Amino acid sequence: MIPYSVGIGWRPEICGFVAALPGLRFVEVIAESLTAHGPLPPALVALRQRGMAVIPHGVQLSLGGADPVAPSRVAHLARLAERLSAPLVSEHIAFVRAGGVEAGHLLPLPRTREAVDAVVANVRRTQAELPVPLALEPIAALFDWPDDELDEAQFLTEILDRTEALLLLDLANIYANARNRGNDPVDLLDRLPLDRIAYVHVAGGIEHDGIYHDTHTDPLPPAVLELVAELCIRHRPPALLLERDGNYPPAPVLRAELDAIAAAAGYPTIT
Amino acid sequence: MSRDLAARQADLVAALVADAPVPAGFDPLRVEAARAALLRKRAGGVLRHWPLLAAGLGDVWLSTFTEWARTRPPPGPLRDGWDLARSLAAAGTLPALAAEELAVREAGWRYDGVGEPRRRRLPALQRGGGAIVLQVAGRVHLLRRPR
Repeated sequence: MIPYSVGIGWRPEICGFVAALPGLRFVEVIAESLTAHGPLPPALVALRQRGMAVIPHGVQLSLGGADPVAPSRVAHLARLAERLSAPLVSEHIAFVRAGGVEAGHLLPLPRTREAVDAVVANVRRTQAELPVPLALEPIAALFDWPDDELDEAQFLTEILDRTEALLLLDLANIYANARNRGNDPVDLLDRLPLDRIAYVHVAGGIEHDGIYHDTHTDPLPPAVLELVAELCIRHRPPALLLERDGNYPPAPVLRAELDAIAAAAGYPTIT
Repeated sequence: MSRDLAARQADLVAALVADAPVPAGFDPLRVEAARAALLRKRAGGVLRHWPLLAAGLGDVWLSTFTEWARTRPPPGPLRDGWDLARSLAAAGTLPALAAEELAVREAGWRYDGVGEPRRRRLPALQRGGGAIVLQVAGRVHLLRRPR
């Protein structure tokens, strides 16, 4: 599986920074940014040759779509997992298109039995083709549907139980949702199956007009680091990964965020 | 019984990216916040793929893009910027820097405005922003008149 450590999302813009991290043992790469059959980015191939674990992270499969997942998208993930000898693949509990129109972002599902059935069917279709386990990531939602039948913990636990998928727990998403819904993020940690965690995402965000946005382009808030510590009191996850998707800060700032995550979790620093 | 999930998801996506009404029961302020966030994220993607389009428009880049994009579902950042650049070129308001960037793309790729752009196999000549762009065997040559 994944080595016990802190990792970072590999992006072309910061590939030099990532390659120079002396203690780094795993990265994640956006699956749709790679070709399944053409050449892989040389900087990523170099990391693989150093024995780095590389996890393909899908963002466009639309596991929560009412329609079946596209077989070509599942095949893409499966092929990347093979080429990268990935320990697992991850995707989101979300939908990204409907009625033939792309939303361009991860959208929340109604927390209904009908939606659980749709996700479970798509996860099973995907698992049937993947050569490695699948980890599912709950998303940050700026709004909820009007007719939820289940709360967040029930919704997620039911999907995980029925699919036997692993959990990719994004603490920044948990923080964003709790802040925007006005509830306590720790309550959710107490009700999720933490033993199913494959790894954890940590990222920054910013508030606009009273709503917290999980942007991955802003600094890591102290409250998210506190959630790292709260999680580790309950269950120490196998690995934690910093996601940064743009507006890249100077290297010392990014290193300081990686160090802060390691310190909050009690892991060795990788910088 | 509510409408089925597929139809309700389609209604929500249309509200977020195609200027359709917010479906009943949703918090309109929150959906509007999500719509605005999607446009910001989308603009960021176009900025990465079309840096000279954004630079050429300068202060009005974000407002120009969001006004243009709010009724158009996102086709991905490459086509998004391409479509906007062509529409500005047709209106005669594409800045010279951006016109060169567009000419380079038009010389190297064939794009029908509907599907994914494909690399040209044959040589192509394009004009834009006071430059002439010549593409031969995948290599792009930019010939600029002295200004």
